Amino acid sequence: MSSILFVALPLLFGFATPILSKFGKDGVAYTSMLMQVFLLYLAFDLLSSADFHVEIISIAPPLGISFVLNKASLFLVALFTFLITLFSLYYLSHRKTDAYENETKFFILSNMLLASSIGLVLSSDIFNIYVFFEIAGISTYILSAYKKTPSALEAGLKYLLTGAVASIFLVFAVALIYINVGSLNLAVISQSFEALPYNIKVLISILLLIGFGFKVEIFPLNFWVTDVYQGSSALVNALFSGIIVKAYLFVFFHILYLFLPSGEFSVFLVYLGAVSMLVAEIAGLKQTNLKRLFAYSSLGQVALVFTAFAMQNKEGIQAALFIVLAHSIAKFIIFFALTSIEKEHKSIHIETLKELNSPFLRAIMLIAMFSLLGIPLFAGFVGKFLALKSFAVEGMFVIMMIIVIGSLIESVYYFKLAGYMFIKGKKREVLNIGSMQKVVFVLLAFLLIFIGIAPFIVSNFLGDSANILLDAKSYSDMMGGV
Amino acid sequence: MFEFLNQPEVIKIIVTIGSMALFFVGLFGLLTRKHIIKIFMSIAIMESSLFLFFIGLTFNTNFIAPILDNTHVNISNMNDPIPHAMILTAIVIGMAVLALGVSFAIEYYKLTGKTNIDEMNEMKH
Repeated sequence: MSSILFVALPLLFGFATPILSKFGKDGVAYTSMLMQVFLLYLAFDLLSSADFHVEIISIAPPLGISFVLNKASLFLVALFTFLITLFSLYYLSHRKTDAYENETKFFILSNMLLASSIGLVLSSDIFNIYVFFEIAGISTYILSAYKKTPSALEAGLKYLLTGAVASIFLVFAVALIYINVGSLNLAVISQSFEALPYNIKVLISILLLIGFGFKVEIFPLNFWVTDVYQGSSALVNALFSGIIVKAYLFVFFHILYLFLPSGEFSVFLVYLGAVSMLVAEIAGLKQTNLKRLFAYSSLGQVALVFTAFAMQNKEGIQAALFIVLAHSIAKFIIFFALTSIEKEHKSIHIETLKELNSPFLRAIMLIAMFSLLGIPLFAGFVGKFLALKSFAVEGMFVIMMIIVIGSLIESVYYFKLAGYMFIKGKKREVLNIGSMQKVVFVLLAFLLIFIGIAPFIVSNFLGDSANILLDAKSYSDMMGGV
Repeated sequence: MFEFLNQPEVIKIIVTIGSMALFFVGLFGLLTRKHIIKIFMSIAIMESSLFLFFIGLTFNTNFIAPILDNTHVNISNMNDPIPHAMILTAIVIGMAVLALGVSFAIEYYKLTGKTNIDEMNEMKH
């Protein structure tokens, strides 16, 4: 079966939604769910058959459009389809309680987001990456302004303004690459990029860093992130923090490894990531709005992934992919839980946790927070451990210090949250969670613990993925030796 | 008298200087203006300058349009069609994003009556 289905089916479904909605909202919801389950099956089928190749969509490379299916990209495709399937499962029982979110428009946007994030990961052509970058952008802008309240619209406007500026810098980079190299194919560019004049190379790298820097939420280009997370609904934040940031991060470093295999700017990027993490964790300390607080936590974790990716060695990338996995799952739990809390309490202030009366939700949130924090036996621990190991291997003890200090600061506000959750006091009535939602929560929490106890299930695979990502030569060989 | 302007090198220099000047006009507007619509206009100016820059640098006035037919089979003196295709796509995308942004701005104005981005601070309270 063809990998084009990963992009074509969600897009087709998204644009057929207005017609399908004639048959009722439930029909749309269940068809969308079915399609995502099918894509999930397809992703695991491709992964297990170990059928790694270049899929030509139109003309053969370097001229045409092609998708690269290797371990690294398929890992992310499988992760995204898995998460979006769980998102739909949660959404199916949540939507009846929220008038705004119970519209068929929502399916257009979530499916567009799925198609574009998979397209970003699979694409082997820098202009296609730009196109998917913009599709992802448009769907996220609308998702964040979805509720049409003043704060949601403000979040959407801020997201759109930064996104538009980011895309200008990306177009600039693409134009300069085409003028200097004469091709848009990543494999062709990777062969001649290092030989370009130094000034041009630095200019293109800076433009790419600014263009993607807005999207991968790196300091100082991440000023918009917390406002967007606070203004959008918690349900949508799960998609932002769990899926779309990871796609941008992957594609940025994928391009970096191909263009600069010798790692010229690696040290600079490592320090940039470490500083971002520290800034995010310190700023997160005094937050009282839960969505804003977890936005800062997301910034910190994403910066850690950025740092590990920027190491540009096998251990670093393996750690980064591991944190991507653990963080996406944990943030899905957290933001789903916040959605349930917001629905019941009509507020998302940190004080609402005191009144939260749901042992189930408290336990689930605690598991996710432990994993984010990096407590042993949870998936997050393995990720942080591998990351610290990779810095130690390279002798970067300053970075290790910064990461450890950042994690300590992070632990302060997680323990504060846990304290609020278990404080004795006036409680509300028991919060009702649908059985379908409970299944989603339990499945995600089980995965966090399971991967934490048995990390070897994925770590070898991620190590292979890291090797593949680093090997620029085999990438162009795969492309037919262009 | 102005024959020398027809040389490809001269055209490239003019295009580069002109489009970069336009780019910085847009960047200046983006950083200094406070009205949301003016910011969108600045973004549009920056985008257009890049389109001009890219097309200008890859276009050769001595070459012909890249259309293959019975009389034109030699592709060595044809302009490269890829930049044109790319820029067409980019124009469409840029326009869509701007239209979306303006529609957000209008909805926001209807609800709050604000157009100044410094006053957009719903999150602060």
